[in-house]
Amino acid sequence: MTEAAGDRGDLVRVNFDFRRELAEKIEGDLASFCYQCGACVGDCPAATYSDEFNPREIMLKVLYGLGEELLVKDSILWQCTNCYNCHERCPQEVKPVEVIISLKNMLADRGIYPDPVAKIIKTFEETGRTTPLNAAVDRQRKRFGLPPMSPVPMDEIRKLIEPQDSAREAAKE
Amino acid sequence: MKRFAFFPGCLIPARHPAMEFAIRHTLPRLGIEIVDLEGASCCPDPIYFKSKDKLSWLSVAARNLTLAEDLGLDIFTNCSGCTATLSETYHLLQDEALRARVNERLKRIGRQYRGTSRIRHIATLVRNEAGYDAVRESVTRPLEGLRVAIHYGCHLLKPSRIMQVDDPNNPSVLENLVTALGATPVRHRNWYLCCGKACQTDDIPANMMHDLLSTVNDERADILCMICPTCFGQFDHGQMKVAKRFGEDFHTAPIYYFQLLAFAQGVPYDKLGFERQRFKPECLLRFETAAAGSSPSESRTE
Ligand code: SF4
Ligand code: SF4
Repeated sequence: MTEAAGDRGDLVRVNFDFRRELAEKIEGDLASFCYQCGACVGDCPAATYSDEFNPREIMLKVLYGLGEELLVKDSILWQCTNCYNCHERCPQEVKPVEVIISLKNMLADRGIYPDPVAKIIKTFEETGRTTPLNAAVDRQRKRFGLPPMSPVPMDEIRKLIEPQDSAREAAKE
Repeated sequence: MKRFAFFPGCLIPARHPAMEFAIRHTLPRLGIEIVDLEGASCCPDPIYFKSKDKLSWLSVAARNLTLAEDLGLDIFTNCSGCTATLSETYHLLQDEALRARVNERLKRIGRQYRGTSRIRHIATLVRNEAGYDAVRESVTRPLEGLRVAIHYGCHLLKPSRIMQVDDPNNPSVLENLVTALGATPVRHRNWYLCCGKACQTDDIPANMMHDLLSTVNDERADILCMICPTCFGQFDHGQMKVAKRFGEDFHTAPIYYFQLLAFAQGVPYDKLGFERQRFKPECLLRFETAAAGSSPSESRTE
């Protein structure tokens, strides 16, 4: 099984730094249980409709520590439709989709998102919603006899999404 | 009346108020009292914000759940994305170590997650708490002969270990809910495909939706019924892109189940916001008994 390392010759060096970083993400370590059976591929819509995407191969890259190949701009990771079929099918409870999302967390740490994704995240971080409210929304709601939406306490949301360390430092001050 | 905390999410209240109207209209007629949650935020979404940082995502989701815990109520969702986030949070936070990490964050705002409120998707809420018979009895104009293709989408059913809603390989909840309206549910060959919204390329969702719409069309379905506003957006706006790209115009009107239920319970067609859809479920007009004075949506948008 060397296809993931195909153009690197036969010798595969596992990059443990990469795997350690991934393991720190919630459910990022699950790929370790993958035995490459391929059960996750058959019902994967992204694999069906794309020549590049294959959840088993992504897990293999992770096992080999070749994940840096996935941590690039316009990564194939973004072809995943988050349908959870692989989660459903995997006999090893690897939850490939969760490993893929953990890899996306690593992409985020490196500051590489596709623009549409970055935009939605920004909207959430600024308003507490992914679909912001405005006067037109209120008008539409009123038309259906609906009350205005209750405001999001953004001070609470901001505190919650602050990374651990800066909060600790703030507590020290 | 059984009381449940309503978690409306972002998309339905802001983009599809007609769906929210339909929910608020139909549930009390099924014996379910809606209790509003003050101060809820985005669930947060299981695609974008979760991709940034799972721990922050879990913490905000846990905060939303504590709002229902404060009321001592179970929570229901009207969007499959919210369902995914909140159910997964409930599931993951059964792990003590992770719960401690999340509660460490919640401490910053003086909250604590306890895991006392369960999460129900509105479709299963109706199935479990009202029952199909109550739905049938609430219908004042049965939709006899209407062929309703079903789109389950992903996060109502999967991951089944977490959702515990229905058999993901052969589900029945939406078929039964449609049957209770007097309509005929139609399962098409590509029923298990997803809407593709989360995918950040154009080709995959376009090809997938094209295949899905073709099989819906093969079954001569009148409308495509779903229970998620994200899927709805894909099949409404998204369908125009598919039509352009493949030069095939299926004209399959998508419909959110609770709007269909409201219609069957007698709400007039022109009170249900269908004129805002790109593809309008005009096939419903034949059930409109009191036609007096109303001239609902004239034109289909290409
Ligand atoms: S189904 Fe599970 S064990 Fe099999 S290849 Fe996929 S991730 Fe690995
Ligand atoms: S969640 Fe992603 S990887 Fe898993 S089956 Fe769906 S598209 Fe494929």
